[in-house]
Amino acid sequence: MRYRVIHKTEYDYSESVGLSYNEARLLPRLTTHQQCAGTQLQISPLPADYREREDFFGNRVAYFSIRETHQRFTVTATSEVQITPQEAQLNFSLGTDWESVRQSLRQQRDAQTLDALQYTLDSPFVSTDPQLASYAQASFPRGRSLLEAVNDLMGRIHADFIYDPDFTTLATPLATVLEHRRGVCQDFAHLAIGCLRTQGLAARYVSGYIETLPPPGKEKLIGSDASHAWFSVYIPELGWVDFDPTNNQIPADQHIVVGWGRDYGDITPLKGVIFGGGEHELSVSVDVKNLGD
Amino acid sequence: MTSLLTEPRQPASDQWYPTLLGAYDEMLDNDGQIRSHWAYLIRALRTLGASEFERRGAEAAKLLRENGVTYNVYGDPAGQSRPWQLDPVPLLISSEEWGGIEAGLQERAELLNLILADIYGPRELIKKGLLPLDLIYSHAGFLRACDQIALRGKHQLIVYAADLARGSDGRMWVLSDRTQAPSGAGYALENRVAMTRVLPSLFRDSHVHRLALFFQSLRSGLSTIAPPSADTPRVVVLTPGPYNETFFEHAYLASYLGYPLVQGDDLTVRDGYLWLKSLNGLERVDVILRRVDDDFCDPLELREDSRLGVPGLVEVIRNGNVAIANPLGSGVLENPGLLAFLPDIAEHFLGRQLRLSSAATWWCGQPKALEYVLANLHKLVIKPTSRNSGTRPVFGQLLSQQELADWRARIRARPSLYVGQEQEGFSTVPALVAGALEPRHAILRSFLVARADGYVVMPGGLTRSAPHKDDILVSNQTGSISKDTWVLASEPERPVDLVMKPSPAQVAASQSGALPSRAADNLYWVGRYAERAEGTIRLLRTAIKKLHGNPDHGADEHTESLHCILRAVTCITRTQPGFMAKDAQTLLREPDTELLSVALDVTRIGSLAHTLRCLVQASYAVRDLWSSDTWRVMEELEEHLLGTQQLDEPTLWQIQDVLDKLVTSLSAFSGLVMENMTRGNGWLFLDMGRRLERSVQQLSLLRATLVRQRPQALEELLIEALLETSDNLICYRHHYRNNMELAAFLELLLLDESNPRSLAYQTARLQEHIAKLPREQAGGLLSAEQRLALEISSTLRLAVINELTAITDNGTRQNLDQLLGRLDYLAGALSETVTATYFRHESAPQPLAPLRTV
Repeated sequence: MRYRVIHKTEYDYSESVGLSYNEARLLPRLTTHQQCAGTQLQISPLPADYREREDFFGNRVAYFSIRETHQRFTVTATSEVQITPQEAQLNFSLGTDWESVRQSLRQQRDAQTLDALQYTLDSPFVSTDPQLASYAQASFPRGRSLLEAVNDLMGRIHADFIYDPDFTTLATPLATVLEHRRGVCQDFAHLAIGCLRTQGLAARYVSGYIETLPPPGKEKLIGSDASHAWFSVYIPELGWVDFDPTNNQIPADQHIVVGWGRDYGDITPLKGVIFGGGEHELSVSVDVKNLGD
Repeated sequence: MTSLLTEPRQPASDQWYPTLLGAYDEMLDNDGQIRSHWAYLIRALRTLGASEFERRGAEAAKLLRENGVTYNVYGDPAGQSRPWQLDPVPLLISSEEWGGIEAGLQERAELLNLILADIYGPRELIKKGLLPLDLIYSHAGFLRACDQIALRGKHQLIVYAADLARGSDGRMWVLSDRTQAPSGAGYALENRVAMTRVLPSLFRDSHVHRLALFFQSLRSGLSTIAPPSADTPRVVVLTPGPYNETFFEHAYLASYLGYPLVQGDDLTVRDGYLWLKSLNGLERVDVILRRVDDDFCDPLELREDSRLGVPGLVEVIRNGNVAIANPLGSGVLENPGLLAFLPDIAEHFLGRQLRLSSAATWWCGQPKALEYVLANLHKLVIKPTSRNSGTRPVFGQLLSQQELADWRARIRARPSLYVGQEQEGFSTVPALVAGALEPRHAILRSFLVARADGYVVMPGGLTRSAPHKDDILVSNQTGSISKDTWVLASEPERPVDLVMKPSPAQVAASQSGALPSRAADNLYWVGRYAERAEGTIRLLRTAIKKLHGNPDHGADEHTESLHCILRAVTCITRTQPGFMAKDAQTLLREPDTELLSVALDVTRIGSLAHTLRCLVQASYAVRDLWSSDTWRVMEELEEHLLGTQQLDEPTLWQIQDVLDKLVTSLSAFSGLVMENMTRGNGWLFLDMGRRLERSVQQLSLLRATLVRQRPQALEELLIEALLETSDNLICYRHHYRNNMELAAFLELLLLDESNPRSLAYQTARLQEHIAKLPREQAGGLLSAEQRLALEISSTLRLAVINELTAITDNGTRQNLDQLLGRLDYLAGALSETVTATYFRHESAPQPLAPLRTV
């Protein structure tokens, strides 16, 4: 499947900004299932300085700085990606049990396992605690295959939690989400990651987009789609397998990956430090257009 | 107790120096005999005598205090900064032993350097299983943004400090490694300077290794890491600012090494490079000697709430356009958990064990080690893996059963955050306590710097001893007493100048006037505050004198002139309403309380105490720019200020004495500034501040007193008071006898260019200074500040005295009022223009509100 994603971020400042420094993680990375036909970042005003690199997690980062005085700042990322659906059907009941995976993560020294090991550790947005562990427990009976356990956990989160964009902010701690059973995709991803880490498993945060299917017979609305987040689990025989707790599904070919990290903080779409600006208003629009096969 | 220092013959050791049971003593061996390398010192001290030695110690303390050597303690109720304490008995280390310590330290530094390079490079140690991944990845000091960034050259760890202690078996061991931004080298140097001052012959005859070479190595090490494009690299010292606990040292080192002392907002990133916002515009920076913790250095890529860093700095470092020592992320080595793995890593990298080892350590992140620690908690030291965790080392032996159980639970909940460490001993050193020597536990911080050819160790270091006999922990935050550390050479050493001669490149750099504009801003305000304080004192003295000279409110004109002066006090200190209030009659009759408040209330903006506090703070912020003499005067001022704050129930009588002292100190300060400060940009701004402030005060004083026409007798009294206030009375009498006449007075105070207190004089100096300020060439056009200064000068010159003294219908001197008002307005505009042009006041940076994924 081919998609064109247009992700536009706009900041309107109440006072002018004379100088800004930014980091954008908006350019989709290559994955085993994803090719990038072309990506482009349009920045206004034009930056005085622009460089791209790969970060610690292999995500694509654009660093830039703007010296022109401005009151409106826009970044538009346009990407064309090709997604190959995963071929084999996943068999949930087969596969290694989760306890063996937990053990092998700590015993194997190959590059892939070592890389996965870092995602078992607490991170700034996801710190494990007994409450998380106790919520996770029901999905992890002895001897269950990891795949099935995670699938069960995803289903429970989807069933137990209410999607509520007004309840949480970026600063809402995971404990509050767990207590009130409300949040958005970012919270659900963090929640699942935290649960998995309490079991000693490796889970990471994935940032990207999802194609929202238009209701039948209606034209698809531009900008109705949002940037999205889900999580991924390391399963030795399969590698990293994605799960989307907000939609209770295993992404096939409708999820476009931008990048990943331990949590949101590692893959924040746009960061910046500005001089001046006063109050600012932020608006974001994402358009994911299906270009067919 | 008999004193070692007075006793000519040696009695049994337990009588004169009761060593502590089980501890190794640096001075006495197990048989109570003085170790041979201490013999000369003890002999010399005996000759000197206890009381003389104490006197020298006190002198050293005074010297350090006057030099402003302080250690700031956050949240210290006793005040912001604590004077540095020095015990005059040095720690002695023999040449032979030092050779071993030195080699051990170098080896350890090389090893830590290899580990640092590996952690931010290939991470072979993790791949090979020599370091657990979670030990590194869970540590707050591991900065992922700094991955794969390396300094050029083979050294990543440029400055390194190790706290050494000696166990009961006499072996030296490492208590902790400092790899982030180690402090203390500057204090060691200050201690040395003070010791050589007070004990010159003892020092000379003891053949002590000199420290200067170490600092030369530091300079050479820093220029080695500069980007290749820099011919004569510009190095800056980055400090968090005057509120940091070791700010004194930052300023001291910057000034000693000849580098500008900068804060984060003095620097800016542009076009991929780092620049210093100097008076002359932007100047490229090539190397940063960092005293800011690494995660605070860049709010874009590291801690976004940091106000101490430079946004975009990491990117500049990543591209190799600026080098920073130590590199960002080096704090990852300050993890005691690493110590558990050092032996194997040493075998791996060096093929042998470290000569200088640390205490046996178990990292609880590993199951076996965890079990061991939990089982032996009562005899181990518990330490957090991260220094920022707020937990201090805990001694298992001091814990109750309940506390031990609590700690076990805490460790079990997050084992990877803790280590258990074998409790090693600390040796004791002789300390001077009440005229006698007493043993105290001590540790030695040693300093290393990487030069192209390897690590150089400071021969000596900073010894810190516990203040009390039973203390086992030594830390600056909780209080410790420092000592100089003497490494004794087997033969006299060729002296190296402690005062370093700057290299030609440095001279060039300093001549190009890299004065950070923030420093210029501070100097300008030092000038203004110093002058404001002096003016306030002079007027207060006049007021008090008048009050006391006429206590019974006798003659009308005396009372009236007193009231005029009191109102002027309110005017020039801008402490309205005060004596200017509509219902101020009672206040004017009983002015003591209000006058005392204007003098002493440090919380009242405009009061003398407040102005002095501002003066001290502004001077402290540019501590690196003052000579030691100048700083001594500043310390004196602060002491007088403190003195006034401690008065129980102050009276006007009492404070007159303090006011006199303050005037003397302020005059000494301005004298030193005039006579000793090079006439660079810094001096220009300081003097401009002074001139401008004097003008403004003069104007507001004249306006408050002479615009309204008053009976002649009263006016004469006022003129006399004003002459005295401005220190012009003698001069005036000399010219005009005792005839107090307004025209002559105005001539002298406004227009006489030869009178250093006249407005014309201030204006002339301002014009000269402004002409010399660095500015971008704008053809033959006058700059805004030049135009303003010219306008002040010509307005003044065109003034006609007869017109000024003329009285208009409503009983005021309208012309005088207009002139003074106009000049006041122009002076204000001039100050604002200078501020806007030279002191780059950018708005503070803020993080962008991030986008939430929904």
